[in-house]
Amino acid sequence: MQLNIQLSAHFDHIDLALNYQGTLQGIVGIFGHSGSGKSTLLRAIAGLSNNVSGSIYYKQQCLFNSKENIFVKAEQRNIALVFQDSRLFPHLSVLQNLQFSRQRSRTKQLNVDEIIALTQLTPLLDKKPAQLSGGEQQRVALARAILAEPQLLLLDEPLSALDQQNKVALLLLLTKVQKYLKIPMLYVSHSLAELQQVADNLLVLAQGKIIDHGNIHHVIHRLNQQQHSPIHQQTSLSLVISKHDKDHGLTALTLSEKHTLYLPLLSAENYPVGSTLRCFIFADDISITIEAPHQSSIVNHLSGRVSAIQPLNQHSMLVTIVCNEQEFFSQISVWSYKKLNLAEKKQVFIQFKASAIRAFANPNNFIEE
Amino acid sequence: MLTDPDYMALITTLKMASVTTIILLLIGTPMAWYLAKMKSRAKVFFEAIVALPLVLPPTVLGFYLLIAFSPDSFLGQAWQSLTGEALAFSFSAIVIGSVLYSLPFVVQPLQKAFEQLGDHYLEVAATLGAGSLDRFLNVVFPMTKASFITAACLGFAHTIGEFGVVLMIGGNIPDQTRVLSIAIFDHVEAFDYARAHLLSLSLLIGSVLLLAAIYLLNHRQQIKA
Repeated sequence: MQLNIQLSAHFDHIDLALNYQGTLQGIVGIFGHSGSGKSTLLRAIAGLSNNVSGSIYYKQQCLFNSKENIFVKAEQRNIALVFQDSRLFPHLSVLQNLQFSRQRSRTKQLNVDEIIALTQLTPLLDKKPAQLSGGEQQRVALARAILAEPQLLLLDEPLSALDQQNKVALLLLLTKVQKYLKIPMLYVSHSLAELQQVADNLLVLAQGKIIDHGNIHHVIHRLNQQQHSPIHQQTSLSLVISKHDKDHGLTALTLSEKHTLYLPLLSAENYPVGSTLRCFIFADDISITIEAPHQSSIVNHLSGRVSAIQPLNQHSMLVTIVCNEQEFFSQISVWSYKKLNLAEKKQVFIQFKASAIRAFANPNNFIEE
Repeated sequence: MLTDPDYMALITTLKMASVTTIILLLIGTPMAWYLAKMKSRAKVFFEAIVALPLVLPPTVLGFYLLIAFSPDSFLGQAWQSLTGEALAFSFSAIVIGSVLYSLPFVVQPLQKAFEQLGDHYLEVAATLGAGSLDRFLNVVFPMTKASFITAACLGFAHTIGEFGVVLMIGGNIPDQTRVLSIAIFDHVEAFDYARAHLLSLSLLIGSVLLLAAIYLLNHRQQIKA
């Protein structure tokens, strides 16, 4: 699905100048801090803001072009938006909220009962929105948006009002929905950890401009090395789960044929063997040694070669190490850097604890960046 | 019980109040909507115009309407050529007068309700494919129903209690423009206090009951919310 955007807008605190041309596939994450313009971008795509200029084309169809005075109304765009406050109609029951959307859908191809089952709403259908928890409300909002059968689904910080447990549940649901229905989605968030779980591609906004976009792992790794990086430096990975070792409380991930990484045990129900896990390791959780660590309590160690070294701040350095074609990022002190006499291409070993591999769904070791 | 002319005055009053309320809901709703959504500075000016009948002596409004409705005026002539009847001292005249006079009682509660409702639910309805009329009928109206009932009751009750405007532009024509408030005035002028009491007391009780119903409804709505 081709999306072409050229937007500019002037607000009190920010000048927006967004240009993007690309295909939308799966879930595309839009990352940026508050005030970076990401919500404005979503609202412009949905047709909810009229104080921007420029143009938006989706699938070669013009949604908006200020020069030619074209503005397709929100209700004619067939683009649904899930808001952070679920905005369920308070006078309607859950089922009536879903029907509201269904009745106005142009295609009506989806099986309503199937979507209700998929989003686990069966026991809630007769309730009023005020009787639901935050997580339940967002599930209804998601189901309602899906039932409109949109050509594009926008999500504006859909998890920000939820607790960690509900965030995990909704993210799992979202990936399930995406696999099942294949609706392209644009997912806006200020939490990189959240996007890292669901998005295949990432768009990064800062001060009203798109500063990078592409494969999510590549973009995160490029952001690591940027000056005044907007993120906590980390290694971002998609790895296949090879084993759940209940006896030792560890889950094994395949890095390559010969190399396995371990993290604290995950639920086999949500993360079956063979499925891919999104995880990340903060750079300050990875240490470097020159000699192979033979006797260590630390479970994960790999050998690799230094590919880049750059100062992070006055007292620390960011070292990029390539192990089996996978980049890892380690943050060490300037003192250690001098002591180890590090240089590019030098052969080193990196090590990190099992708990340093963080997955959004693992409450044992998840810390929001 | 009620003598014939008093009964006719009651019917005229109810007819006038009902017609006025229906017209007020029809024109007051879009006015309240535009005022609620208006962002320009002119909003204050329009709000003041709508609120004017709250402070203006009814006789002032009546006086200007009388001039506007006279057969020599543009409005009076246009009405005459359209309907074949004179506008001044007609039932239509007192309805027009009442609409203007009771306007704030309908527009203000609706405007407040629309402002409180905000854009949130309208935005989500639009992204789900609901057009503007659809949004109004299926989102705005059900969510502000209590305010519509309040507005209708206030408009109706206030129109029943009107005196000055009707006296100025209606004259006192039985079965046409003679309403209860004027009938009471007539009885008092004629020292017929018994009949004046009867009509006054009925109006008093009727008004209390109507207002009590509105407040009960609002109270229930607040508990629900």
